[in-house]
Amino acid sequence: MSTNRFFFDGQPIVFGQGQSIAAALTNAGLRAFRHTAKGAHRGMFCGMGVCQDCLVTIDGIPNQRACMTPAASDLAIETQVAFPVLEDMPAPVKSNPARVLEPDVAIIGGGAGGLSAAIAARTAGASVVVLDERKVAGGQYYKQSASQPPLDAQQREGASLLERAHQSGAEIIGSVEIWGAFDGPLFLADVAGAALIVRPKTAIIATGAYERPRMVPGWTVPGVMTTGAAQTLWRSYRTLPGQRIAVCGSGPLNAQVALELAEGGADVAMVAEAAAPPWQHPWQAFLALTADPGLVFMGLGMMRNLKRRGIPLHHQTTLQSVEQKGKGLLATFKTASGVQISETVDVVCMNDGFEPQNEILRLLGAQMRYDTAFGHLRCTRTAGMETTVPNIFAVGDCAGLGGAPAARVEGEIAGRTAASRAGFGDAYDLFADLRRLDRYRRFQASLWKMHDIAPKPLDTAARDTIVCRCEEITLGEVMDGLGTAPGHVGTLKRATRVGMGRCQGRYCGPVATRLVAEAIGKPVEDFSNFAPRVPIKPVAIASILAAQEALDDLD
Amino acid sequence: MTSTDVLVIGGGIVGQVTAIRLAQAGARVTVVDAGLNAGSTANAGSLHVQMQSRFMRLYPDQVPNIEASLPLYCQAVEEWVHLDQQYGSFELVRKGGLMLAETKAQLAFLEKKAERENQKGVSVDMLDRSALERIAPWLGPQIIGAELCRNEGKVNPLAANLRLRAVADKLGVQFAQDHIRSLSADNQIKAIGHSGTYRADRTVIAAAWGAGALVQSFGMAIPSIAEPLHMNITEACSARIEHLVQHAERSITLKQFNSGQIVIGGGWPARDQGTNRVPTVEPSSLLGNVSLAARLVPTIGHVRIIRTWAGMNTTMDGASVIGPLPGCDRVVMAVPGDAGYTLGPLVARLAADCVLGQPDHGRIDRYSPTRFAA
Repeated sequence: MSTNRFFFDGQPIVFGQGQSIAAALTNAGLRAFRHTAKGAHRGMFCGMGVCQDCLVTIDGIPNQRACMTPAASDLAIETQVAFPVLEDMPAPVKSNPARVLEPDVAIIGGGAGGLSAAIAARTAGASVVVLDERKVAGGQYYKQSASQPPLDAQQREGASLLERAHQSGAEIIGSVEIWGAFDGPLFLADVAGAALIVRPKTAIIATGAYERPRMVPGWTVPGVMTTGAAQTLWRSYRTLPGQRIAVCGSGPLNAQVALELAEGGADVAMVAEAAAPPWQHPWQAFLALTADPGLVFMGLGMMRNLKRRGIPLHHQTTLQSVEQKGKGLLATFKTASGVQISETVDVVCMNDGFEPQNEILRLLGAQMRYDTAFGHLRCTRTAGMETTVPNIFAVGDCAGLGGAPAARVEGEIAGRTAASRAGFGDAYDLFADLRRLDRYRRFQASLWKMHDIAPKPLDTAARDTIVCRCEEITLGEVMDGLGTAPGHVGTLKRATRVGMGRCQGRYCGPVATRLVAEAIGKPVEDFSNFAPRVPIKPVAIASILAAQEALDDLD
Repeated sequence: MTSTDVLVIGGGIVGQVTAIRLAQAGARVTVVDAGLNAGSTANAGSLHVQMQSRFMRLYPDQVPNIEASLPLYCQAVEEWVHLDQQYGSFELVRKGGLMLAETKAQLAFLEKKAERENQKGVSVDMLDRSALERIAPWLGPQIIGAELCRNEGKVNPLAANLRLRAVADKLGVQFAQDHIRSLSADNQIKAIGHSGTYRADRTVIAAAWGAGALVQSFGMAIPSIAEPLHMNITEACSARIEHLVQHAERSITLKQFNSGQIVIGGGWPARDQGTNRVPTVEPSSLLGNVSLAARLVPTIGHVRIIRTWAGMNTTMDGASVIGPLPGCDRVVMAVPGDAGYTLGPLVARLAADCVLGQPDHGRIDRYSPTRFAA
């Protein structure tokens, strides 16, 4: 009988049931998973399949994301080298048979919005397929565990939503990597090496958001990760990212995760919040209270609990740099009064807000507008959550940040509207749903006004700060590029290689776009960003071949 | 209003090199470029010489012109080699290009083609499977032979475009972003754009598919057509693919950059979105193009595609258009036939020579715009 053990560079690593490879390696105290072309070490950063920095070689197949791949017995996992040798790769095997799905409603993303949409559409009688990138659906807010009982009310709420979605009769497929979205709509995806082809009548995009980092010198070193990545390690895999942890950025997720990690046994050195404390925004605090008193009291409770646990919460304090020091990290912060605080930790968590995962929406040509307050694009939608592309709906954070409660209502509305579009149920009176939605949106508006959510300009003095993680392009190189190649971020990309890597510009893109806009004195709009292109995520050539063969068989 | 000696319309590889040549000769040069849907900035850096099977299949009527242009292609790669030595590195590699055959019929087609190309001075050879094995062991087992064209190679177009732009800047060439809508010439050139009017003593039309519309008012009917094409690029790997790889019957180019990334293209169509939006990727092109690569080089199955893009190729009648307009020598054409990036620097030099009053009649007369005069 095989044990729960795999090998990393020949060293046996024991893993827990349901753990990802990244979680098991983290649990074993390993943080550096790959070497870059310039010889730097990288590890897990986003924890959700976006950054492509936790790549490892698994049984000879290079560039697999440790955060998205479940651990399995006897896998031979190796540190990912920058240039894997073609001749050393195993011969591609014939993939499993492709699946072709033609549901009334396809829902992309199984989080708060997607699952709510699934229940609503299925209840109306439509056939529903939910495609989720993770093995277990639930999304980034509900973060479900494959093997453990729910940790708290938030996870319980998610478990119950997921259960209701299953019971509704919607088919929920996990580990789906959607790499192509085309007119039709036609979605092309990979499920563990097999092709999945989805040609639905209507589609609801519910792909959520990923976290905005704070780009400072050292933000790419192993041990620096997003706050959500640390939360996933703990909530989904019961793994602490490290022993001593500093959490920083702006927004309620940071304090929440700091508390969760502390309750899990970590030593949380501090929480640095960029914004001023809520008592300096009394009017917004009052508005938030009137919109959603429950959530406000939850927030106050978090602050009380941090205090009770002796975790310092520094307001108006921002991360300045991270340096590798021995086996740990030296994180340096600056307070409002200009005082420097340094902490030696083994993990720095950062969340400076969110970026919508709007790749599919942009690819399909949905109209987007730039929201300067949040520094990201918002998707134009009808009250029924339909985008400007007929039969394509958008719910939740992928359409612009709005939070999980709003995503649920939006999902319910979109699910019913999409089902009715496909011929199931009548169009219904949106009044009550829209009133609920309005309340959540008012709360969100006040909440974010109390935080420091607008994207921050980078410290131009720190020219060595990496802007593009993948291609290892520094701020200095980007600024020099602005001098020689102004006009559009695409020109800057070709001049500097910023955004040309595996994450496809998800981190550097928004920054480079704003720098170009500033340089040419024009406001940011949808067109200012990198042109949307397939593949939505890097996709193995063998998967494309499998999809091509499957589509050939159909014709 | 901007006034200059020479107005170069189009800022791609042709426009940049033209501007450099003219500025080096002492001219004041302004380059005006629309900054949209470019060919050069979307180019993937293949240096083509042998007749592309794709082109022969799609445009059989243009084959005689392409075939007659073969010496120009050979010289064009030499021009790139000089340019790379002078201003590079553009990461130029010239190990030759392989055109693969999977069937006896394809092999026979290549043999015939090689014979014709040899007669035009192209350095080509037929390779059997064992010869291929030595230089391209990564090829699929179904490949029975190939034509090797030693003149062919590849450059990194990102490096080349950037460095050439820096050279032009240093020479004092002025660049403007504007879309020229109309062009007239009396005692000087007057070009009206969306945001400005430009006057010059002479103009060079380096506007690729846009060239036809610009000179229509001069009684010219140049059938320059934009052909939106699709490209794919992988993440980096160590594969030792040194050649430019093509196929005897199917559309593909496959090569590896210095970065370790493999570029797959070869003329699969993209979808035109009009002049104000970049062309979009067709699913059928992505699937067809990459699957073909996977069949020709089976070991790349585990390598991931990280990006696709689309850019514009230009087709006319298979031959370049170089030289002054009949009846108006203030307007000099500089439009390569097929494979514009390969031909670009040479076409630019030949056109610049015309402006400078030293036309190389022996080389350009065959490409004169006179053939399109109404």
